[in-house]
Amino acid sequence: MSTPKIIIISSDEEKFTVDQKVAEKSGVLKNMINDLNPDGLTEDFVAPTPNVRGIVLSKVLEWCEHHKNTVFPDEDDEDAKKTAPIEEWDRSFFKVDQEMLYEIILAANYLTITPLRDCGCKIVAEMIKEKSPEELRRIFNITNDFSPEEEAAIKRENEWAEDR
Amino acid sequence: MAALPPSADFKKTWNFVQPGLDFILGTNDEQEGVTAVMYMSCYTAIYNYCINKSRSVSLIPSIIGGNRSSDSNNSYVLPGAELYNKLDKYLTKVLKDVLSEKHDNLLEFYVKKWTRYTIGARYLSNVFEYMNRHWVQKERQDGRRDVYDVNTLCLMKWREEVFKPNEKQLIGQVLELIKKQRDNEIVDTYLISTAVKSLVFLGIDVQDLKKPNLVVYINSFEKKFLTETTEYYQKESSDFLAKNNVVDYMQKCETRLNEEVLRSNNFLEEHTKKHLLETLNKSLIEDHAQEMHDYFISLIKQNELDHILRMYKLLSRVPKCLDPLALSLENYIIQQADEKFKELKSESEKLVEDQSKVKSKPKRGVTNVDTKTYIHTLIAHHDKYQGVVFKAFANDPKFIKALDNASRHFVNKNIIASPTERSKCRTPELLAKYADTFLKKGGKDVDTMDMTADNLMIVFKFLNDKDQFENYYRRQLAKRLITDTSKSEELEESLLQRLQVENSSEYTSKMTRMFADMKTSADLKSNIRDFGPVKDFNPLILAQNMWPFDYKEEYNLKVAPQLEEQFNKVLEYHDNKYNGRQLKWLWHHGRAELKANLSKKSQKFTFIVSNPQLMILMAFNEKSSYTFEELHEIVGGSKNVFEMHLQPFVTYKLLIQTPEGESAMGKEDTSFKIVEDYKSKKLRVNFVGAIKSIETKEEEDEINKEVDETRKNFLSACIVRIMKSRKTIKHNDLVNEVLPQTVSRFQARVIDVKKAIDYLIDKDYMKRLENNTYQYIS
Repeated sequence: MSTPKIIIISSDEEKFTVDQKVAEKSGVLKNMINDLNPDGLTEDFVAPTPNVRGIVLSKVLEWCEHHKNTVFPDEDDEDAKKTAPIEEWDRSFFKVDQEMLYEIILAANYLTITPLRDCGCKIVAEMIKEKSPEELRRIFNITNDFSPEEEAAIKRENEWAEDR
Repeated sequence: MAALPPSADFKKTWNFVQPGLDFILGTNDEQEGVTAVMYMSCYTAIYNYCINKSRSVSLIPSIIGGNRSSDSNNSYVLPGAELYNKLDKYLTKVLKDVLSEKHDNLLEFYVKKWTRYTIGARYLSNVFEYMNRHWVQKERQDGRRDVYDVNTLCLMKWREEVFKPNEKQLIGQVLELIKKQRDNEIVDTYLISTAVKSLVFLGIDVQDLKKPNLVVYINSFEKKFLTETTEYYQKESSDFLAKNNVVDYMQKCETRLNEEVLRSNNFLEEHTKKHLLETLNKSLIEDHAQEMHDYFISLIKQNELDHILRMYKLLSRVPKCLDPLALSLENYIIQQADEKFKELKSESEKLVEDQSKVKSKPKRGVTNVDTKTYIHTLIAHHDKYQGVVFKAFANDPKFIKALDNASRHFVNKNIIASPTERSKCRTPELLAKYADTFLKKGGKDVDTMDMTADNLMIVFKFLNDKDQFENYYRRQLAKRLITDTSKSEELEESLLQRLQVENSSEYTSKMTRMFADMKTSADLKSNIRDFGPVKDFNPLILAQNMWPFDYKEEYNLKVAPQLEEQFNKVLEYHDNKYNGRQLKWLWHHGRAELKANLSKKSQKFTFIVSNPQLMILMAFNEKSSYTFEELHEIVGGSKNVFEMHLQPFVTYKLLIQTPEGESAMGKEDTSFKIVEDYKSKKLRVNFVGAIKSIETKEEEDEINKEVDETRKNFLSACIVRIMKSRKTIKHNDLVNEVLPQTVSRFQARVIDVKKAIDYLIDKDYMKRLENNTYQYIS
């Protein structure tokens, strides 16, 4: 008998068949697989992920497949998590439109794939870095809801942080 | 899949989730398991609920964690409180419902429900993972100690709702089962182990949820368990000993201890093991140590080493219980030694009586016993109990010490070594004699084969008066060296080496020096070999204080003219090499061999003679007859010595004395003429053996004098050393410091120390101050 597979179903009923190892990159799926099969898997296991669209899930699983053998720093090791640089593969993985980027991050959060979530957040952080408020408003499509007085006051308060 | 509820609606969310929770906790009657759909729906609904509120105020709040409406201290609110409280109430109800179920046996019911509940609690915690990870963690970080992750919450609820109200009955049932098991009834041990393990899980440290906490286990279970254990075994062991003997009891103890260890491995926490063992050791062993001690002597009499080992192992669980046992062993070894030596004494007395009814019975029984038999009896006795200590006491240092103490006692104090209470111990002397027997040439191999340095060292180790042994041994060594009767130089030196290692280099310094003198003398011999008529001339130059020989004025011989050159060469050689040392001839030692041409059948005789005898016979080369006075004048020495050495020649008819008779021997004008035709069956004639010696008794006194003197010096040196570093010291402290320092040599008595102190005060090394204190005078 072949090794049992995990069949993950997206919110739009799209099915993805992956190895258990790949699925277990997700903390939630890992817990569920173990909870519901305390003696190990004997047949294919169907796992619905009702919060994730198929098109996003496919990206997420691509990442899981690529990283199925990667050993990530300990969950509790905040420093290691923060300082780890973004890998080239991950960087090109995230070359997607903003909507997709956010959806991947949200899906990673929902499925508890911490390294993927952290990596996505770093990409967002890099988008913010060294940008003017005006640029950021444009990039993230934010309406300026400060009054000119408020904005001037905030600029004064944060003058020290300006890089000149 | 049912449509997920709107994430902002708490009530709808809860109603959506609850049937899944019922499944997970197994509270509904349906037998089906939880499905993946159900599991993920619950997780997703809870996730959506938790993330919902934050999402409405910020773009990606759960990631960045920022919130623009945050107050000044930067704390923020995560959704979850409402959900958590609802879950708390829900669990209360679930557990109350569980308890209201009908059950016959509380323990069985408890274990069954607990097993199911804890599995559910773990699922539940995973389903609520998002709340655990964010809301619960945040609340705890903010210092709330009454909020727990969902798994812990489930356990806390169980503790309150199920365990506490039933604690007494439940623990009672567990202890009852353990008692039944001790009574050899078959019980369901799964019930015990699960119930006991549940107490460990229920111990929760609200400060640190991950830290194991045994407070529930210890307070609710362990204390009662230990009390019951004590009561159980107190009763059992008393009842058992009333009906059975100690050996059976010991076997029973072993079985019980094994059972309890097995039980504690199966059901109990590591924490309990130590206390359980203490409890068992107290009620099974310590409380009945007396009975075991009392039985020990009869076991050792029957050489029941296995049972003794059993006793030792049991008692060693309570180390203080071993002390009386070690003392019993020590006393027993001594008492056995006493009997053995009494037996040996009467045997050898009987032997002597049988052998020679004619001979008068010796005054002291001690002289009867053969040295080898005596020493070998000491060793055999020691070895026997060394075997016992090894086999029955696992070479425990306490028992090695008991054997050492006992050995020290019987080696130094037994009816053969010291027939009366006050007589001096002869073991050092006999041991030295033992050594001499196997170290010197001429012994039969059959007799000396089993006499070894190893044996010697065993006895030596236990000698109190090691200085006496050194003295006897050194004297015999000296004789072996100068008469060249040592069996093997290698053996001598290795034995010396062992004595040095066992004691100290100071202890063997004189003997080491003696060996050095022998080597130097060998060099001397090769340098002066060719000067004179004496072949194999072998003069020895010996340092005066190292060797047990004294210069004797009455042996002041005159060297025969034929020998003078050769003898002077020795002095010359020595003076050239060592300026300022004085040499004296010890004529009373040493032997000479003479070839004598005194036979008409031209037989060549060899005469073995002493030095005075050598000088006497040399004189007869000049002239065949002398008067006593003439001959004495030529030979020198005191009249007694001269006469003593002359006597054998007359006795063995080499010289003809005129007039004859013992009384005429020493008269000035009595003449002595050498025979022309000497007759003897042997060609080698020894004239030395016939010299009437008066030295034996003297030697004994000499040894005692020397030992006393050395002891006095040793003590004085100790005292001076201590005084020098302390300046002032109380009498008792001084005595207590001196005594241990002497142990390697002899056992000093307090009175000896006092005498040495008085002597030093006399000599102004120190003085007495008030209140029993001494002061050093530098």
